[in-house]
Amino acid sequence: MIQLNNIEKYYANKGIKNYVLRLVTTNIKQGEFVSIMGPSGAGKSTLLNIIGMLEEPTYGSYEFLGEDVTSLNERKRIELYRNHIGFVFQAYHLIDEMTVYENIEAPLLYKKVGSSERASRIADLLDRFNIVAKKDLFPNQLSGGQQQLVGIARALAAQPSIILADEPTGNLQSAQAEEIMTLFKKLNQEDGITIIQVTHSEKNAQYGNRILHIADGIVKEDVAILS
Amino acid sequence: MFKLNLKIAWRNLWKNKGYTFINILGLSIGMASCILIFIFIRYQLSFDENFKNESRIYRVISGWTTPDNFFESAGTPRPLPAAMRNDFKQQFDKVAAIQASGGIIKVKDESGKERIKTSESVHYAEPDFFEILSFKWLDGNPRQSLSQPNTVVLSDEMADKLFGDWHRAVGKSINFQNKVDLKVTGIIEKTPDNSSFPLKVIISYKTYLNQARPESTNWGTVSSTSECYVLLKEGASIEDASKSLPQFITKYYKRDNVSKESHRFQQLRDIHYNADLGNFANKVMPKKELYGLAIIGAFLLLTACINFINLATAQAVSRGKEVGVRKVMGSLRRQLIVQFLTETLTITVISLLVGCVLTEVALPGMQSLFKDHISFSIIEHPIIFVFMVVLVLLVSFLAGFYPAMVMSGYSPALAIKNKITANTAGLSLRKILVVVQFAITIILIIGTLVILRQMSYMREKPLGFIPTAVALVDVPSDSMAFTRYHTLQDRINKIPGVLSTSYCDAAPSSDFNNQSNFNYNGTVKSTFQANTKTGDENYFKTFGLEIIAGKGLSKSDTLKDIVVNETMLKKLNVVNYNDAIGKSIRINGKTGNIIGVVKDFNNMSLHEPISPIVINSDKESYTTIAVKLDSKSILPAMRAIEKTWNTVLPEYVYESTFMDDKISEYYQTEKIMGTLFKVFAGVIIFISFIGLFGLISFVATQRTREVAIRKVLGASTLELVKMLNGSFLLMVFLANLVAWPLAYLFVAKWLATFTYRIDLNIWPFVFAMIISMVITLITVSIRSYKAAVANTIDALKYE
Repeated sequence: MIQLNNIEKYYANKGIKNYVLRLVTTNIKQGEFVSIMGPSGAGKSTLLNIIGMLEEPTYGSYEFLGEDVTSLNERKRIELYRNHIGFVFQAYHLIDEMTVYENIEAPLLYKKVGSSERASRIADLLDRFNIVAKKDLFPNQLSGGQQQLVGIARALAAQPSIILADEPTGNLQSAQAEEIMTLFKKLNQEDGITIIQVTHSEKNAQYGNRILHIADGIVKEDVAILS
Repeated sequence: MFKLNLKIAWRNLWKNKGYTFINILGLSIGMASCILIFIFIRYQLSFDENFKNESRIYRVISGWTTPDNFFESAGTPRPLPAAMRNDFKQQFDKVAAIQASGGIIKVKDESGKERIKTSESVHYAEPDFFEILSFKWLDGNPRQSLSQPNTVVLSDEMADKLFGDWHRAVGKSINFQNKVDLKVTGIIEKTPDNSSFPLKVIISYKTYLNQARPESTNWGTVSSTSECYVLLKEGASIEDASKSLPQFITKYYKRDNVSKESHRFQQLRDIHYNADLGNFANKVMPKKELYGLAIIGAFLLLTACINFINLATAQAVSRGKEVGVRKVMGSLRRQLIVQFLTETLTITVISLLVGCVLTEVALPGMQSLFKDHISFSIIEHPIIFVFMVVLVLLVSFLAGFYPAMVMSGYSPALAIKNKITANTAGLSLRKILVVVQFAITIILIIGTLVILRQMSYMREKPLGFIPTAVALVDVPSDSMAFTRYHTLQDRINKIPGVLSTSYCDAAPSSDFNNQSNFNYNGTVKSTFQANTKTGDENYFKTFGLEIIAGKGLSKSDTLKDIVVNETMLKKLNVVNYNDAIGKSIRINGKTGNIIGVVKDFNNMSLHEPISPIVINSDKESYTTIAVKLDSKSILPAMRAIEKTWNTVLPEYVYESTFMDDKISEYYQTEKIMGTLFKVFAGVIIFISFIGLFGLISFVATQRTREVAIRKVLGASTLELVKMLNGSFLLMVFLANLVAWPLAYLFVAKWLATFTYRIDLNIWPFVFAMIISMVITLITVSIRSYKAAVANTIDALKYE
């Protein structure tokens, strides 16, 4: 599904290249649950951003679903966002001025899903995440865990084939974190959604089936977890 | 999608109530000013519209070139229309004369008793006049109604006034000037306010010719009250007609005059806008002033839009996260732009509604300022609605487009990580905009200060005579009235509070001026014309004129003694004024001797230089009795004068004005301009400073953490306030530097229209700078002080 070949990323500053990623080559298949781990500044988030096409690599090639997406125009990239990729953020990033319901609805509006279809999908998600009662609340009226649930529901609304999560539990207490990770595992196993997460926590990484250890921009280890 | 955008827009506006309030306040005031200016300009541009064939209608203008001057008049010699009708058959369909006049109209009831006596302006018009200009006839038609002598056509309003109901007016008769009885033969609809032809009483032109005035065949005399209109033939060009004019002039004018005559044709649609030529309605509005107003309107709107842009880009950072999230959810940049523009549109529409209310509130003030009925009815004038729609779209676009472009352009990767800061490019643009905004503000402040100083200069400048407490009472000038002049003056002199009286044709300063050629000391004709004034022996005393050589006029009914002013002698190269005493002057066919020299006085508005003046007595030219009053008893004395006047001259209608009112009328335009500048400068100062307040609020919020850290490091409140204020004071200072040269160009040009004017010095500029800097300092200090004394812990405990 995702094929990265010799991805490099550096920032040139006064002629000196500061490498963030060096010669990253990897392949992620449909249905995998990959955790990217490593110390601060190792390039985890940059790698995720490149996979999510939020940043372009300085060098190397990237194929998504068999298509070269190394540099893509806005329209095509947004087409992928609308249909294939869902994002989950550490700080949730719900839109403050929108209710829970509207936040989940927003990607469907961009995808131009019909209104009855929209209503049924949102109802389904609210139901599944047990947040029906909260649908008319604004994000600041929710706890962090609840906000992250809404964030995931929003990422799932457009029925993506892959979810990219940047430290999804970084701001949460451990009980809530566990709940979120269980949810991810379920989504991966039952719905077959590919998940790539960046995490600091060895424990969270154990929910997946593969770990990429990164240090100083280089993939040090690629471990499969056998459960 | 649009509905959702609207909903989000509304919530966003509600969340940032403070900024929203500032934006709406600024925009609504700016828009209200624009709407007011628009409806005023629309009204002014609507003058004389809806005449049939308007593009083919012209007024004939007369011009004279003298050795040192060129001037024009809307009047034509009285024989001109007939001659032109004859000689321009190829080019013109119709040529018609119209003569403005005025007089006393009396209506008697069935028993022959006088029922109504009123003084009205009247016009003598040829039937063709109404075939050139299409008025609506309610009864009768021009051909029949005005082709006979002693017939009159009334407007329905006038007929209602004279006969109760215009339906009953036709066939009745009215008496004019105690002389002729006129039969009412037609009724026209009242002309609207926006017409240069306020025709109420139209008497057939044959009646005018019947009165057999000598000047009606004289090509050498022109009064601005005798106008001539022509209707160009379809397909003919006015340029071709103009080519035949020189031939026409050589045919009819004698060639020995000092000045050279010329004619030209003025378009109907120019009549309302040409201040030099004037018109029957005495309503002129130079296009230049309309443009000036439009520019001020544009400035106001620009200032309000700058507020909006500044606040929006300042706030943009806080919207960065939303932009990033929306982008990864699949929103196109275009969709984000639409969303942000929807927000701007919402604000603009709300502002328009508030602006309409403000317009409604300000309208009466504007109507009294311009003394015109200006309508703000979008049903009557759908163009106003169109203007408002255009205004909303323009403002939304102008104010919203740039912020929308900035915000929608954020990179999602950075936005999501909250790594977007008020980027330096945006900041410098904001600084430029603030400088532009304040430059506009400062130009208006300087303009206002200079206009006000020139106005007070004009009020206070000694004019060479004393205009206070002088009443100018009209007197009729016909042989019947002449016999009672003596009685009238005697009886008025006896009224307590009357200090002196003088018969004259015009006050020392007047817009009624006669120019005439003359011979000095028996020599050939002079190279310049003298301004002639007539008055009796008390003229100098009544107006407080100062004789500086010889003596004043002695009692006489005709030209015998002459008093001249200093300018006259200077122009004649007489150095020692006493040398002129006893010399003869031949003027208007009569000769007199100079017996005195009067100190120069301003005989016209201060726009004009002092003319060479000749003053003599001539009973038959008097139109006014000037009465100098004791300023303590003006009211009772005026009542007594009116009573006396009415007993001595019962057949006539009493009218009076005060000298100082007449003089302040000269400066009506300047007064209006002064008021407009004061109001708009106030508005623009207000808009600019609330914008500034919004901006400093934002900066203070943004730098809360920095302020807290600096406090922890030991900065004092004063130092913090100084730090926050610094850049704003610098911007306003720069704005002053930008504004000064522009303002100088503008005020210097305006002052150049006055012959007598203040010296332009640096003070208005310095004063504008002080005002702007002080207000800036106060505005920003209020907010930055609050930020500097805020609790440090509150700011630092987050993160």
